[in-house]
Amino acid sequence: MSEKIKILYVDDEQDNLVGFKASLRLDYQILTAVTIPQAINCLNSHPEIRIIFCDHRMPEKTGVDFFEEIKISHPLPVRILLTAYADVDSIIGAINKGNIFRYIQKPWAEAELISAIDEANKFYMASSMLSVKNNELQKAYVELNKFAYSVSHDIRGPLSGILGAINLAREMDDIEDMKEMLFLMEKSLKKLDTYVLSMHDYYSLQRGELKITEIDFNEIIDELQAIYTVNSKINNVAFNISVTQDEIFRNDKAPLRLIFNNLLSNAFKYQDKKSNNKSVEVIIEVQKGVATIYVKDTGIGILGNHVGEIFNLFYRSNSAEVGSGLGLYNVKNALLKLNGQIEVNSVLHKGTTFKVTIPSI
Amino acid sequence: MNIEFSFIVIDDSELDRFVTQKFLERSTKRLIIKSFQNAQHALEIISETIIEDTSIPTIILLDLQMPVMNGLKFVEEFEKLPAQTKKNYRIIVLTILSSASHPGDIDRILTYETVNSVIEKPLTKEKLVSLLKQIRSAI
Repeated sequence: MSEKIKILYVDDEQDNLVGFKASLRLDYQILTAVTIPQAINCLNSHPEIRIIFCDHRMPEKTGVDFFEEIKISHPLPVRILLTAYADVDSIIGAINKGNIFRYIQKPWAEAELISAIDEANKFYMASSMLSVKNNELQKAYVELNKFAYSVSHDIRGPLSGILGAINLAREMDDIEDMKEMLFLMEKSLKKLDTYVLSMHDYYSLQRGELKITEIDFNEIIDELQAIYTVNSKINNVAFNISVTQDEIFRNDKAPLRLIFNNLLSNAFKYQDKKSNNKSVEVIIEVQKGVATIYVKDTGIGILGNHVGEIFNLFYRSNSAEVGSGLGLYNVKNALLKLNGQIEVNSVLHKGTTFKVTIPSI
Repeated sequence: MNIEFSFIVIDDSELDRFVTQKFLERSTKRLIIKSFQNAQHALEIISETIIEDTSIPTIILLDLQMPVMNGLKFVEEFEKLPAQTKKNYRIIVLTILSSASHPGDIDRILTYETVNSVIEKPLTKEKLVSLLKQIRSAI
């Protein structure tokens, strides 16, 4: 067991508090309160309290009223009512009114307390797991909604564009116009293809398990060079890579590759086409179990007020017809998986630098 | 007599701008077409342009889903321009959202006075011809 279960006991009789604490303090962490306001303070400063015991007959208000009062503000702790009166009617009402898990009659038997705590703790674990799952579902649902919207734009958009073009082609006779249109149609289809690929990335990141291997960054760099050298030559962008790795680095290759691919394709994509001095630089340093990666470009930069949003799903900061709004979101998710960090530093019209740090596993 | 219109095409898709432009060129003879990839940029140009009073409005063909400034935002900003400027334009929304699948978005944009109608993409010759006819008869 890592930490003792935290229990709050509220009773106006000091003797009961002392007795309770004395018999349970070895196995549990017991917090006590003599008044209701004290109890609420205690709940506020110890959100990890799992179980609350409360005496029913308190001077300011009954234990039942107390439980009812905290139902909204502190829904998580499991409530147990202690009562010296075998007043069955009030207890039935209480269980319904204050979400009470069970009640124990005073004077209590220690064994009864311990079994109540045990049961209450199981109940607490089950319901907090439920709320974790619930949050995950909520998040998945929000993303699904965004997906539904994006499907209409990013998939139907290019399709309807191509349909429109086919429609127009029936009436066109100028071969040069036709060629220009075919070129644009091809671009649209490529964009659609990239979108489908990054959607695949998105799902494999969400569902996939980690596969840890030893990473040789020089090997990854060779792959990248093979992919981007053509782009670098055609668009006249200088492409420099340096790697310093003298130690073993372990991680999952697939998300690493995804990170490099997205950052590099952005670095090439968002160059200033009019500039004569275009470059993309990658620096990788592995030191003391941490890989630090810089991807620097001399591109168009990102508007200051957009920087905070670029990692959001389907956010696009630029209106040029290239991005899908998935790339950097996938990078962020991949880093989350690898326990990594990303920082961005961008100056409009000058360029952008991404700094990624990833620990070895 | 055939009245010739001016057009402004606002769409982030290069292919859609090309197709729209070609359809327009084929259906009316003497016309002026300006096209913009970025709605923000279009809005700046429109608000700076002083048009001498003519009875023929300029038609804005506007895409709905665009990054940076989307069609709805464009219309909201356009509505704030002086009446003197606004009366020279008619906005036609071109969108892949069908009124059946996204009634909310379509209904909302149609509540704006400057928005004349909504056409579902892709644009075809037939849609364009009936649109131009409708605008001519409204002048």
